[in-house]
Amino acid sequence: MSLTSTRQHLLENTALQGMAFSDRWAGEVDGWLTKTFETATAGVSPEGLALVAVGGYGRGDLAPGSDLDLLLLHRAKNAPAEVAEKIWYPIWDEGLKLGHSVRTTAEALDLAADDLDTATSLLTARHLAGDSELTDELVQAAVEQWRKRSKRCLTMLRNGVAARQARFGEVAYLLEPDLKEGRGGLRDIHALRWAQMARPVLDAADPEALAAAERVLFDARVELHRATGRNNDRLNLQDQDAVAAALGTDADGLMADIAHAARTVAWIADETWDRVGAATGNGSSLLGWRSRSRAPGLVVKGGQVSLEPSADPATHPELVLHAANLAARKQARIARSSLDRLAARAPGPGGPDGTGPWTDDTRRGFVDLLATGHDAISVIESLDHVGIWERYLPEWSGVRNKPQRNVYHRFTVDRHLLETSANAAALVDTVDRPDLLLLGALLHDIGKGRPGDHTEVGMDLVAGIGPRLGFDDDDTAILVDMVRHHLLLPDVATRRDLTDEATIALVAAQVGDRTRLGLLAALTEADSLATGPAAWGSWKAELVRELVRRTDHYLAGGDLAALPTREFPDERQRDLLAAGQVQVSGVDDVLEVVAPDRPGLFARVAGVLALHGLDVLTADAAAVDAMAIEQIKVTSRFGSMWGWERVERDVLAALENRLAIESRLAERISTYGSAGARPGLPPATIRYDDAASKAATVVELSAPDRIGLLYRVLRAFNEMDVDVQLAKIQTLGDVVVDSFYVTHLDGSLVTDPVVRAELERALLHAVS
Amino acid sequence: MKLITAVVKPFRLDEVKDALKSAGVAGITVTEVQGFGRQAGHTEVYRGTEYQVDFVPKARIELVVDDDDVANLVSVITEAAKTGKIGDGKIWVTSVDSLLRIRTGEQGPDAV
Repeated sequence: MSLTSTRQHLLENTALQGMAFSDRWAGEVDGWLTKTFETATAGVSPEGLALVAVGGYGRGDLAPGSDLDLLLLHRAKNAPAEVAEKIWYPIWDEGLKLGHSVRTTAEALDLAADDLDTATSLLTARHLAGDSELTDELVQAAVEQWRKRSKRCLTMLRNGVAARQARFGEVAYLLEPDLKEGRGGLRDIHALRWAQMARPVLDAADPEALAAAERVLFDARVELHRATGRNNDRLNLQDQDAVAAALGTDADGLMADIAHAARTVAWIADETWDRVGAATGNGSSLLGWRSRSRAPGLVVKGGQVSLEPSADPATHPELVLHAANLAARKQARIARSSLDRLAARAPGPGGPDGTGPWTDDTRRGFVDLLATGHDAISVIESLDHVGIWERYLPEWSGVRNKPQRNVYHRFTVDRHLLETSANAAALVDTVDRPDLLLLGALLHDIGKGRPGDHTEVGMDLVAGIGPRLGFDDDDTAILVDMVRHHLLLPDVATRRDLTDEATIALVAAQVGDRTRLGLLAALTEADSLATGPAAWGSWKAELVRELVRRTDHYLAGGDLAALPTREFPDERQRDLLAAGQVQVSGVDDVLEVVAPDRPGLFARVAGVLALHGLDVLTADAAAVDAMAIEQIKVTSRFGSMWGWERVERDVLAALENRLAIESRLAERISTYGSAGARPGLPPATIRYDDAASKAATVVELSAPDRIGLLYRVLRAFNEMDVDVQLAKIQTLGDVVVDSFYVTHLDGSLVTDPVVRAELERALLHAVS
Repeated sequence: MKLITAVVKPFRLDEVKDALKSAGVAGITVTEVQGFGRQAGHTEVYRGTEYQVDFVPKARIELVVDDDDVANLVSVITEAAKTGKIGDGKIWVTSVDSLLRIRTGEQGPDAV
């Protein structure tokens, strides 16, 4: 029976998962290859010839898309070409991927001496057919060569691991991890086992932990290959549901399990490679020093912070935070044994019986740790790994490994919080209360992962955490407000007219005072930077800065009218309007269109912009007598440079009704594919904000992003005879939030509930 | 009109050329190229490292033909180029939108 159809048969047996599949499949391949070898060597003396499985196949790990790694070992000087052909051709003809080589033992060992990949592939060599003594010779010699050169091999391995991790990113935190090559992934596990074969480097409990993690990752990998039919190891968002279902869980559960497994592997890997580095003399070479005044009871040596033998965490609980701070400041790890001692003997931070509020020293130490920035992250991870972190923050269990499965968020919730706090550390000089900033940053999303609105839940949790940490009522209130308003500034900045006093007044009323404003401004920047690449940029930063500037001015009692504001239309633009000519010009990232006022003007321009792959950030519209002007700020997904000439030409054509916008958009959509098929996107919503402005009704629309969305929405407004004066577009990954300042054609607000309902209908249709 | 592109082993080029001429083909274009397929450029008795992928020199033949002649010419090339060992290459056929003979200005099938 053909091997490929056997594989297909096994793939269809969905009860056969992960390692079970691999075992069955590898068994089938072993049998088939043995028969093939027999056929190939019929009539030839099989002595001095052996077919050996190496690398992953040698280990017995055969995912559906894995290669067969085979070595034809021979004793004689001349390569057995005929036998080789009789083995390889059937495999190629089966369409299976084969990594093959034909060598003598000596040749194999020579190659292994210089090439790390060959050396490690031989470590897991397994005899398949032929002269088993020959195979044994090879395996023994290969392992011995590996052991003899252990120092060199370990160094090469260690460097290889670092390079690979830098290239492929983390498995534990990323939205779409590479299960094989990422940090904490399968290759890391293999590398650790190869290291262990050179010299015992793992701790006693490590092999079991690695095996457990490997099961989780390998199962996911097999199901991923099964689901996609390809040899792809990157667990993409759109495949996560299928893989999870195959393993009997949901996508969130799957990603949390993977995060946990990868974290374990990464933890063991970091510890081990650190030890290896120190042992081979390649580690971070910190000269041992001891400073009794700064850190009594602690020693820094060989890149590690250790407890002195006489130091007792039971009587000196402050050792926990002191050690952590020292490790963060010195960019060192806390020695494993010391961590274990701290975990076993140090009481929790809540005083002698563990339930009281924290002392000032404890709180200061905690804040100091956060203030070290990104260096604190790996230290906190270590503390979490041995259970110490949770004594300080029991609420952390809700966010640990919690995935945020959308393109907007890069990290799991816990990692996001740590990154936000680390980013905030760089901004402590901009606020009155660095301690509140750091803690607010650490806790702002603590409500995620629990049922309910994460802001409300977070506020409740923080209301309890504040007093526990020893903050007074006022400070706790500030922390709670930080959670409550952590999205206020970016949302208002990108969705509201900042020149409208109503906007500023609203924000000021919510924020309350300048201290809170400063904290929220810093938190906004730290949070956005820790969210994802689309969450922060110079445009958004500028808007937030402008909002903060104005609100600060307002809170200080200043008059907003005194602030310089961009007048629209300005003098130059009013002259153009008076001239009565059609004028279309794009300069830098702003397009200006002057044309006779008519319904659908803005929609047409938006349509043309969509055709050229330009996204609208904000648009202002005004009309004087019979002429209208549109000023539109755009950005492009396809680079920072684009040619305005073609856009201007198409806008002119569109204004003269010479451009079939609708059909061209349809063409563009079919070229770029429909990204709207992403699972799990929230449904479109419409919201009316009557408090935002006195001069216009604000309609806020949230919907999955699509090509030409703005065009269709503006057409819907046209249909209802609603005039758009200002539009602000905020893109959050796959979702857009559009805010429109609208009025009826006569300038009155849109208040009639019947009209509103009909408008909602039209808009929801436009975005579907 | 169709474009037949064949990537073959360089030492089979003469055979292919002669076979095509016998089959009545008036002209072909040949380029020297490099490539590899599933075997990553490794011969049957490859002894190097596993993760290296090697380029192997090949010859690429291109000819524009009438639709009716495609099937026959593909098998002519196949027979002439085949050795039965790995690296024999591939043939593919694509459509030609228009054809012009530069000297005379003939277009379409007249220019084949």
